[in-house]
Amino acid sequence: MLKKIKVEDAVGTNLAHDVTEIRPGEFKGPAFHKGHTVCNEDLCHLQKLGKNHLYLIELAENEIHEDQAAAILAAALAGEGIAWQNAPREGKIKLLAERNGLFKVDTASLAAFNMVDEVMCATLHNHTLVKKGDLVAATRAIPLVMQRAPIERAAAIARQNGAALSVRTLRKAKVGMVITGNEVFHGLIEDRFAPVLSQKVTDLGSKVERIAFAPDNEELISKAIGNHLENGCDLILLSGGMSVDPDDVTRKGIRMAGATEMNYGSAVLPGAMFLTAYVGEVPLLGIPACGLYHRITVLDLVLPRILAGEHIGKAELAFLGHGGLCKDCPDCSYPHCPFGKGI
Amino acid sequence: MKSFEALLASSAAAHGHLCPGQVVGVRMAMLGCRLIGLDEPTRRDQVKKLIVYVEMDRCTADAVAHVTGVKLGRRSLKYVDYGIMASTFVNMETAESFRVLCTEDARSLASVYAPEVDGKSAQQLAAYKRMPDSVLFRVQKVKVKLGDYDLPGPTRRKAACSRCGQVVRDNREVVVDGQVLCAPCTKGSYFSNPIEVTWPDMNYVPPQETGLEKNMNHKLI
Repeated sequence: MLKKIKVEDAVGTNLAHDVTEIRPGEFKGPAFHKGHTVCNEDLCHLQKLGKNHLYLIELAENEIHEDQAAAILAAALAGEGIAWQNAPREGKIKLLAERNGLFKVDTASLAAFNMVDEVMCATLHNHTLVKKGDLVAATRAIPLVMQRAPIERAAAIARQNGAALSVRTLRKAKVGMVITGNEVFHGLIEDRFAPVLSQKVTDLGSKVERIAFAPDNEELISKAIGNHLENGCDLILLSGGMSVDPDDVTRKGIRMAGATEMNYGSAVLPGAMFLTAYVGEVPLLGIPACGLYHRITVLDLVLPRILAGEHIGKAELAFLGHGGLCKDCPDCSYPHCPFGKGI
Repeated sequence: MKSFEALLASSAAAHGHLCPGQVVGVRMAMLGCRLIGLDEPTRRDQVKKLIVYVEMDRCTADAVAHVTGVKLGRRSLKYVDYGIMASTFVNMETAESFRVLCTEDARSLASVYAPEVDGKSAQQLAAYKRMPDSVLFRVQKVKVKLGDYDLPGPTRRKAACSRCGQVVRDNREVVVDGQVLCAPCTKGSYFSNPIEVTWPDMNYVPPQETGLEKNMNHKLI
């Protein structure tokens, strides 16, 4: 329960919460911290901050303070790879990436959590690549004092699938690459796909172990895939031959190589003719020609998730549609743009 | 208790259709029973321990009654017309009671939990199956005091209305200025202008089964 007292009567009492001071363009933060004992010298400062009254807190058995609430919420939200300190500032607790990796948000759980009255959590987008120490989320309970039960219900909701927030480490894949196309195989043009894809792979901490070139022949493409698998590659990227022309046979080659699952087509532009397939547990990604022209494509949305251990099937490719349209800006600012942020 | 899917199937069959309210009702009943420590509420040794109050007359109410086996005629099902999607589960043996309320949030969250399902009703149905109890429900521990005249068992009291002559059971009569009256004669009613009438074929009796008839005759002799 909160009891309102005049600020001049508050001398000798302890502040129930941080008192925020904002000096435009200069400072925003607590001028006084929770628990501070109000003394005569503070009165003028408090009144300048617009505080003519303060609250005294008398907690009933079923009530908790916002700081306790924030700690309960943070503990429930934080899964693997998320760090936080039980040192709320102005009732808020920040959640940080404990390691480099892919930030994951259980968006249904987060939505349900935020539907509970008087609690909130704001996060970065699901599937954001983060570095150790990055701020990924913050949570707080809104009133100064609240009932314990709704806070614990919100915490249970956050834990419904383990925890709502996590950072998954990207595995270091041994990548095999198959560059398809008669024009490259026969030396009519120089391949430019391998350097582009290699850069993306190494940027994410994986290594290109083997690169094979194959003409537009399904048997030879299949053989190249088989060779990569025999040599221990655990992720295979294939470029070209993904379109609808008679010479585009990469898909046939993938099937011939024993793919147990194939998902052709993604709801992303650029990247509509992207493909994911699996031979056993090994993922195969078919990258259409747009991967050569555009700096950022569907591959940039999917590859980190593959390396984080996600299975990318038909639904995952379909759900990319919302936010899956690249505006092709002259000055590309990805990842600081809406591309791929719809899920 | 049977599995959720088995209970949902039998509840939907009894109710007449499968709908989001059935999913919510089955889950509400399963949670309520779990909270008061009854795992087989329809089994002979538990059936008399349970009283359920339902606060709405919607699909959910039928599912709650189906799963728990409570019945209006056995006085184990109490209907209170609050228009609230809630039910209270009372364990008569332990006196523990929990009121389980639907969150209105669940409806708003259907599209988040079942984004791939088309159509409002189908999406709600799928989502309500997937949501954890913590999203579907809030729970209150409550005290429920059942009066002697509200308990299951034989009729404990009868009184005749001094105005219309109707017999009133279970202490539901009203005494006004020392006169015993029935509820319609005092508080008004959902009907008005009652006029006693005759109707066609007034002496109808259902056909009697031969075996039963013989049996009845035998007993009468």
